[in-house]
Amino acid sequence: MNLCYTLPDELFEKVRPVLKGEKIIYCLPLDLNLNGEFTKFGWTVVTRRRLVVISDDQIGEIIELSEADEIICSHEVNGGILIARQDGSDRLLARFSMRYLTQYSYVARGATLFCRGDSRVLENQEREKYCPKCGKVLPGTQGCPRCAKSGRMFRRFLELCGSYAIRLSAITILMAATSAITVSQQYVNRRFIDNVLVPATGTLGEISAFFFTMLLLTGAALALTAFNTIWSNSLGTRISRDLRARVYAKINQLSLEFISSRQAGELMNRVVHDTSHIRAFMEHAFAQMFTRIFIMAGALIAMVTMNFKLALLTLAFAPAAFALIRAFRRMERRLWRQQWRFDDKVNNRLQDVISGIRVVKSFGQEKRETERFESYVDRMTHIQKRNELFWATLYPFITLIITSGTFLIYYLGGRDVLNDRMTPGQLIQFIAYANMLYMPLQFVSRLPRMIMRLKTSIERINDILDEEPKIADSPDAVDIEIKGDVEFKNITFGYKSYQPVLENINLSVRKGEMIGLVGSSGTGKSTMINLLMRLYDPDEGSILIDGVPITAISKNSLHRQIGVVLQETYLFSGTLLENIRYANPDASRIEVIRAAKIANAHDFITHFPNGYDTYVGEHGYTLSGGERQRIAIARAILHNPRIIILDEATSSLDTETEYQIQEALERLIAGRTTFAIAHRLSTLRKVDRIVVLDNHRIAEVGSHNELMRKKGIYYKMVMAQLEMHSVRK
Amino acid sequence: MLNEHAVKEDDIIAQQKKVVEDIISVRLITEENSVFERTEGGFVSLEFTDGNGEKKFYSRVSVHQCFPYSDPDRYISVREPDRDGREIGLIEDLNKMSKKTKEMILEQLELRYFAPVIIKIRSIRDEYGYSYWDVITDKGPCRFTVRMGGSNVYSIGKNRYLVNDIDGNRFEIPDLYKLTAREIKLLDLYI
Repeated sequence: MNLCYTLPDELFEKVRPVLKGEKIIYCLPLDLNLNGEFTKFGWTVVTRRRLVVISDDQIGEIIELSEADEIICSHEVNGGILIARQDGSDRLLARFSMRYLTQYSYVARGATLFCRGDSRVLENQEREKYCPKCGKVLPGTQGCPRCAKSGRMFRRFLELCGSYAIRLSAITILMAATSAITVSQQYVNRRFIDNVLVPATGTLGEISAFFFTMLLLTGAALALTAFNTIWSNSLGTRISRDLRARVYAKINQLSLEFISSRQAGELMNRVVHDTSHIRAFMEHAFAQMFTRIFIMAGALIAMVTMNFKLALLTLAFAPAAFALIRAFRRMERRLWRQQWRFDDKVNNRLQDVISGIRVVKSFGQEKRETERFESYVDRMTHIQKRNELFWATLYPFITLIITSGTFLIYYLGGRDVLNDRMTPGQLIQFIAYANMLYMPLQFVSRLPRMIMRLKTSIERINDILDEEPKIADSPDAVDIEIKGDVEFKNITFGYKSYQPVLENINLSVRKGEMIGLVGSSGTGKSTMINLLMRLYDPDEGSILIDGVPITAISKNSLHRQIGVVLQETYLFSGTLLENIRYANPDASRIEVIRAAKIANAHDFITHFPNGYDTYVGEHGYTLSGGERQRIAIARAILHNPRIIILDEATSSLDTETEYQIQEALERLIAGRTTFAIAHRLSTLRKVDRIVVLDNHRIAEVGSHNELMRKKGIYYKMVMAQLEMHSVRK
Repeated sequence: MLNEHAVKEDDIIAQQKKVVEDIISVRLITEENSVFERTEGGFVSLEFTDGNGEKKFYSRVSVHQCFPYSDPDRYISVREPDRDGREIGLIEDLNKMSKKTKEMILEQLELRYFAPVIIKIRSIRDEYGYSYWDVITDKGPCRFTVRMGGSNVYSIGKNRYLVNDIDGNRFEIPDLYKLTAREIKLLDLYI
């Protein structure tokens, strides 16, 4: 997002004397005044020395940054305020709506850096929400599909179609051929009427000649159309398959940073929906678009050459019909949307109640819920009935109006025939063309929307395909055999550059050592792990494994040798065997059994009716938390990593299970460097060293006994935990 | 030595208990035990005397409504201003405070809650998944954008609606039927 807007010239002239020639580093608009009213935009201007607020075209507060302790962007309800903290007292500077909150929180951090004499300038990597050109919402992309030139979009579409471009053009040519046949059929028709039927001199031979010509043409048109449809559909399916694979591969490749900046659902949409939009376009629009447009053009040309006056008359009706169709479609959409929205509501309600059925039953609210649901369903029925009635009455009526143009041709054309200005065959031909012109109007009125949707989908797909993975292997990355020495060297990192989660972390771990990471939530324990797994790269400092910076180790070899047992074990849909073999699909069955035995999982697995072939995950067998953890341990054992990362579950399990898991873990970590985010005292007592994180830094390091003697943060935590237990008992 | 350890442990347990008690106790702020004062920086300070007669001065307090929609004037939580600031106490009923205090608190509430009320709808146009609204609110004219579908326009009680725009701003329609027929028709699609 932009953090430095351009100040309007006349305002710049006004602040110029205040700025004393300093460069503007940040500049953001203010959409509210201090009373919380929408006003003419004010501005907040920040240089390295000062912060200036402009409201109502007047210079307001001026803060010398060197005299302030901090600039704060405070998130209030549906809005935000900017505060300067000076000698411990707060000063209200400005007010803005949610629209600028993110930007102001960055600028506040940036200005605070200046307060502290740090001259770094922050950038915000988040995408703009609105197109700076047209002001419309961007569909989560960098470029705006509305402002993108159609030519460029078409090129990108062809690029996406890739190697299928030739086939695409072949289809287009076929479509032109189909249209030509359709138009020429009417010509044959006319000849038949004028030369054979009207003079009544035609022979049976002539009739059969026409019969076969028509049969041939119709057959050819049908065959071509069928061929076209099949081709477009298969092409659409293939293109969307290719795209899906490409987008999916790219998402897997991209760093977590990119992925976590988007919602999982949104990314899924791009893989599934956007690619199928492209397919739908190929199947529904593309296949018909050219045929229809060619037919319309052909019919129009034929009409103009046949009877110019009548053609003009027919055309005069077209815009009116078109406008009518559009108005009708808008009405149609409106009604449908109302129905959908209600459908949604009913579904949500249903899902809500069924998911919460235990609560409903245990509070004896069945009757109330039933009544409530019935009232929803009644209203839905009402809307549906109304809509159906609307269709039934209005649709035929609309069709009548649209085709009324052709009735006029009957009258005027009929007169021309009587006056010998037109033959009967010509009139029939003309009417057929008029119908050809009117019928696709409905389709044409839908085209802009279909094209816009296609453009949006293309934009959203390209947005991912164009993204460069931030964490890529450097060209000279090497595969190494990890022994297990790990060193964190001056690590500073924040998910958002302005908010460090880890500050200046230094930690040296010997091969085979077990480290317990403790600290309250949000202090950076998981972040340390993420950095070690290289899901993110630190902002400053480096991590060394066996003396080699992890940036120089190939990602593949790094991940192969780090094993993870996470708090929430995610089991993929599949059998237990597949899940245990996830990281090592080539492991033999006996190896899997051995790993499961070490993980204390073999016994419960063999008790399942389907043993290792038990299907788990979505729609599958549900395992208990303890069972899942042991599967995860087996997975990690089979993986045979040199470094183990353990994220212990906070929830407590029953003693028996807990004991089995502890035992399994001990076997897993024996001789391997282990980082454990530990919550249980039993785990913490066993680790070699405990690292206490507090306030984003390492506060204490030492063994359990050492830290207990020290009576610092760790001691307090342990005591609090003991107290909790005694209270529970 | 052993004894000393035990004493320390008791200390910590006592401390913890105090913290818990502090969190769960309800302290009421009344005209008698509090002095609110406007600060130079545009906020409000508080000198509060707690139940034990201990006076404490807060250079800035922030105020939160417990029931911003259903009972806005009652149960105002007065807190330390930081994000995880402690609650200092509750004002049971703003109308029972002195006029001067009430004014100050209302000003601060106004600062915290940005809740424009839609008075007039000039137009709503929908385009490709978003609707673009042009309205006049009690805070002045405003244009904003709402994502279609989902529940971005929703009812909170009889005829009362809230609209969330894509930035997270919230607009209120206090009574649907106070709007004109044309405006209701515009809204019809979204509610």
